[in-house]
Amino acid sequence: MRALPLLFYAAAATAYGAHFAWRDERVGRLGTGLLAAGLLGHTFLIGMQTVQAGHAPLVGTTAALSAFVWLLGLAYLYVELTSNERSMGLFVTILLVALGIIPALDAEVSQRPALLRSPLFTIHVMAMLFAYASFALASVLGFTYVLLFKEIKAKHLGVFYTRLPSLGVLDVMNGRAVAVGWMFLTIGLVVGGVWASQLQGSSDPRVQHMSLADPKILVAVLSWGLYSFALYARRAIGWNGRRAALLSTAGFGLVLLNFIPVGYFLTRSHNF
Amino acid sequence: MSVRLFAVGMNHRTTPIELRERVDFARKGLEAALAGLAARNAVRELAVLSTCNRAEVYAAADSDDAVEKVAQFFAEYHGVSPSDVQAHLYVHRGADAARHLFRVAAGLDALVVGEPQILGQVKSAYTVASEQHYTGTVLNRLFHLAFVAGKRVRSETGLGEGAVSVSYAAISLARKIFGDLTRLQVLILGSGEMGKLTGTHLHAQGVRGITIASRTRATAEQLAQQIGATACDWADLDNALTQADIVVTATGAPTVVLTRADLERAMKARRDRPLFVIDIAVPRDVDPTAGTLEQVFLYNVDDLQGIVQSNLDKRGGELARADAIVSAEAAKFAAWLQSREIIPTVVALRDRFESIRRAELNRLQHKLTGLSPEAQAQVDNITRLIVEKLLLTPTEQLKAVSDDALAATYSDALNRLFSLPPPSDPLDDEPVTTKTRKVT
Repeated sequence: MRALPLLFYAAAATAYGAHFAWRDERVGRLGTGLLAAGLLGHTFLIGMQTVQAGHAPLVGTTAALSAFVWLLGLAYLYVELTSNERSMGLFVTILLVALGIIPALDAEVSQRPALLRSPLFTIHVMAMLFAYASFALASVLGFTYVLLFKEIKAKHLGVFYTRLPSLGVLDVMNGRAVAVGWMFLTIGLVVGGVWASQLQGSSDPRVQHMSLADPKILVAVLSWGLYSFALYARRAIGWNGRRAALLSTAGFGLVLLNFIPVGYFLTRSHNF
Repeated sequence: MSVRLFAVGMNHRTTPIELRERVDFARKGLEAALAGLAARNAVRELAVLSTCNRAEVYAAADSDDAVEKVAQFFAEYHGVSPSDVQAHLYVHRGADAARHLFRVAAGLDALVVGEPQILGQVKSAYTVASEQHYTGTVLNRLFHLAFVAGKRVRSETGLGEGAVSVSYAAISLARKIFGDLTRLQVLILGSGEMGKLTGTHLHAQGVRGITIASRTRATAEQLAQQIGATACDWADLDNALTQADIVVTATGAPTVVLTRADLERAMKARRDRPLFVIDIAVPRDVDPTAGTLEQVFLYNVDDLQGIVQSNLDKRGGELARADAIVSAEAAKFAAWLQSREIIPTVVALRDRFESIRRAELNRLQHKLTGLSPEAQAQVDNITRLIVEKLLLTPTEQLKAVSDDALAATYSDALNRLFSLPPPSDPLDDEPVTTKTRKVT
């Protein structure tokens, strides 16, 4: 049951891949259908876990990763259905499969410690996850922008030229995804800060480490800095196109770094 | 009587341009050509296809003599000597005629393989003929299947993909860089013939505005007036470069007109908004090193021609798939044509046997009245089965005949042997939208 969404995501990735290769509309629709089925299963799984634990399964890195995969899938599906543009599906579903492996292997629902029984905690985690899902989309858009940009610059029009939307569209969507992500990241960080300050005085060792010296918090603030710069640079100094694309890809690299190695092994403030 | 379908025509491969120019059915309008040929009472159905590279007549007639008459019409209608025309005409009959039209509709027979206009031209040839009621069951079916074949080739193969002319390659690149062309400002440098052509082309794409800059203000203004653009002073070039999204350079200047420094300055002023520079001048107008600037996409004539060539090569690779689709659709038409020949005979034969059976049962009615209703039903059933069995093999054999002449011979023989009534055409009432007027 835990692995079911992952299997659907993998099947969707295969269909999107076949659609990308041969551009058969029916295969593309199959990909969308499989992704939707995977997301439905995933929703059901998260619902079950909520009932089982008595709270939303947002405690711990694995649960957050699972919720992140779910949100990213939903966000992409929304973009696909509203823009009728499927060529990005392959890249997004590959990301879903890669990130969905850990939650599929280990879906034990962690009990929520008393510390986390605050609405601020839920808002903090949800805002961060929305931000990360937006950044993930932005990075896929940026990555594909660079692929297409290289083809056009090199005057070798090939695979990406015939399949991807225009550079203009990719750039505009990338800009929007970064802006939306930045907004949620700002909310997440501010709410996290307020909540941490409310916890001051708690004897929990994790609360003691809630400062910029903790790698998880430091990297999150760094990524806020990077995305803030990306937004500023696009508006003020004309860093659009390839530069913006590369920045958003680098930014998501930072997010992933924070999510997996830092989240699992290094943080001393966020190890619930 | 069986219907003969055939196509007579000439195209860019069989006929030199001097003759193609003279044989042009479209000159006096297709209606006139259709009426002229119909007046000769040679064919039952007809359609005329006329493009710059081909002149073709598709017709259904009752006899083979019609082919000769149509060929004569080619010469007489255009006032050309028949011997000149005859040497260049090709004739396709039956399923081959269908295959030929399907290849034409799919763009396989075109000068530029896969060109998209031809399907539209085939459609309009059919529309004109059918509106004037020159088409009937055979040509209606033929053209409908031709549209199917053309559409399938377009959607299932890469045959129509990729630009195969320099100007279209430039437009498709602009679309790939910017997405929407309607918000783009175009700057054209030079007011010669190339500048005019490109301007007209871009104007047709619905760009937001076109500015023309030339060393002499007057010529720029003259061209601007012709194509609905505005002119700007050469001295004001920096400003125009800042405004533009697409720059087309087509001056006759012997040296570089836009240096790397010019573009670098412009890119700074436009805060690195993407700039697509199309240099169609020879010698080149734009310093080639400007192409390495971050958001400058610089293409010259050779680059565009390279794209066109690679697209043509790709189309070549799709030919086999397109051919397979055309063959499949042609086979469908051939099967239909065949069944159309033989089905009336099959139906008449079965009717004949059935009426004999009923007549015999009626004659024996007084002997059967003693039997129970179940037994009577049994007798009815058994006699019907015997008739079915007797007819099964002949029916199958008839439907499997793939040769026109043999099918006609069989039909003729059966009609005589069983003195079958002359068949009504069972396919005449099929769902085609056009009313049929027989030409003869």
